[in-house]
Amino acid sequence: MAVDTGLFVAVTLVYLAATIVLGYLGYRQTKGDDDYMVAGRKVNPVVLALSYGATFISTSAIVGFGGVAAQLGMGMIWLTVLNIGLGIFIAFVVFGKKTRSIGSKLQAVTFPDLMGKCYQSSFMRYAAGLVIVVSMPLYTAAILIGGAQFITSTLQIPYATALIAFAAVVALYVVVGGLIAVMYTDALQGGIMLVGMTVLLALTYVQLGGVIEAHTALAAMSDLVPEALAAGGMTGWASMPALGSPIWLTLVTTLVLGVGIGVLAQPQLVVRFMTVKDTRSLNRAVLVGGPFILMMTGVAFTVGALTNVYFYRTDGVIALAAATGGNIDTIIPNFINASMPDLFIVIFMLTLLAAAMSTLSSLLHAMGTSLGFDMMRHTGSRGASMKRIQAATVVMIVVSVVLAFILPGSIIARATAMFMGLCASAFLPAYAHAVYSSRPSLLAAKLSLVAGAAAWFVWTAFVHIKESEALGLSNLLFGVPAVLSAPWQDVDPLVVALPLSIAALAVGLVLDRHRVHADQDESAGAA
Amino acid sequence: MFGISDPSIWIGYLLALGFTLACLVYGLVNWNNGVEDERNGS
Repeated sequence: MAVDTGLFVAVTLVYLAATIVLGYLGYRQTKGDDDYMVAGRKVNPVVLALSYGATFISTSAIVGFGGVAAQLGMGMIWLTVLNIGLGIFIAFVVFGKKTRSIGSKLQAVTFPDLMGKCYQSSFMRYAAGLVIVVSMPLYTAAILIGGAQFITSTLQIPYATALIAFAAVVALYVVVGGLIAVMYTDALQGGIMLVGMTVLLALTYVQLGGVIEAHTALAAMSDLVPEALAAGGMTGWASMPALGSPIWLTLVTTLVLGVGIGVLAQPQLVVRFMTVKDTRSLNRAVLVGGPFILMMTGVAFTVGALTNVYFYRTDGVIALAAATGGNIDTIIPNFINASMPDLFIVIFMLTLLAAAMSTLSSLLHAMGTSLGFDMMRHTGSRGASMKRIQAATVVMIVVSVVLAFILPGSIIARATAMFMGLCASAFLPAYAHAVYSSRPSLLAAKLSLVAGAAAWFVWTAFVHIKESEALGLSNLLFGVPAVLSAPWQDVDPLVVALPLSIAALAVGLVLDRHRVHADQDESAGAA
Repeated sequence: MFGISDPSIWIGYLLALGFTLACLVYGLVNWNNGVEDERNGS
């Protein structure tokens, strides 16, 4: 972005100083394992809501998915509907309260720990920990790549320097200050994001002549939809794609359902429910969380679609044509750079930096605790768990940084959707069963977790062409990029894997009930 | 509605605003609820 670099550096330094102070406060308040892993279970509800929201919303959600809205239009608003309805309301009211209550009763401190204790099974703890340790670095690397690309383009510094510096600053307060530092800094970052996105929405409508005029102008552009997109089912930027078309399937199954449902079982978000002392805190957090998410994804998707009106009026082209090198991730930054006052450009840059840092810090913390606490609990001496978790966090940071150097720059949105899809497929039914059953069935949970993860992997590697083509496994084994043809190859893995995971849970419950009856009959016969 | 003619889009906007309103109302109505539950151990 073309902005006064000196001004941005000065504002960033102030922001980083505030971040370091909050990280230091977290360090001072961290006395033991509970503080490090669940913030002492005494977090303020506003801090919880902002931390949850800021972790939920990464730079990818604003710039990446905002770019998708610029390409595919306002249909993305359905993801906002799920983000608020499922990601906040159902997450807090239905899952959050139970998770907090059971987590407190069982003294669980991580998501795998909660699963292990609910099912009284080390298999569940290790399996959940393994899924996190193996899959989360991919998502973390995507967040690192997005942050580093942004810093590189803003400050004109080498990509490698940006990536390492970005990871190092966040790692510093995560490793030293644990979850208290993460949540305090998240709250600051969430506040910055809220200011940035609110101003962005207001200035965009002012630029385009008001709400109704902007929307009417966008709706009138439907005849400008590129031929390739029209052939895929796109009908305009203020209307949904044709029902059942490839673009409709991608929009609805991958973007709306995949990301919308995926948020419910993300370990780094679930653990936040266990950081508050009572249900009242969760009730209060709902009040802040709903409007916060509306102002994040709702604004990003609306402004993303409306960039078409701006670029058409100023340059006579649609947003896709205004993207640098055809990369849709550049549409929102290009729009802001071209249309907004310099001061707002600096605020928006800070918004993006805050979004990247808040998500990254939470992922690093979740990976470190999974490896250092859940997977390696029986190693080392008693009382040394915090140092072990800190060391594990450093290991996971290094793994993520190495992955970020290896993976392509275009992986950001794809890796986000993949991680969320895997989490929902593997964890959601077993997690819901764990918190809502007084005697949860271990057999059902094992079947659900394994079936969900396996089905997600098979569909990703062999059917969903956007991933199967890139992974190359299908081509290697069967000589084709995807083993099924359209429309199946456009259907997201979550849409297949989650129902299978639920079905496996149901089968496990029936088998378990039969086994219990058989045992009772046997006991009665022996008596 | 609001310059958008396709119902499948403006219904989405209405639902997004509706869920946000539901979050606000829920938070306000239950602002002080949830402390007694803890004392009762539930």
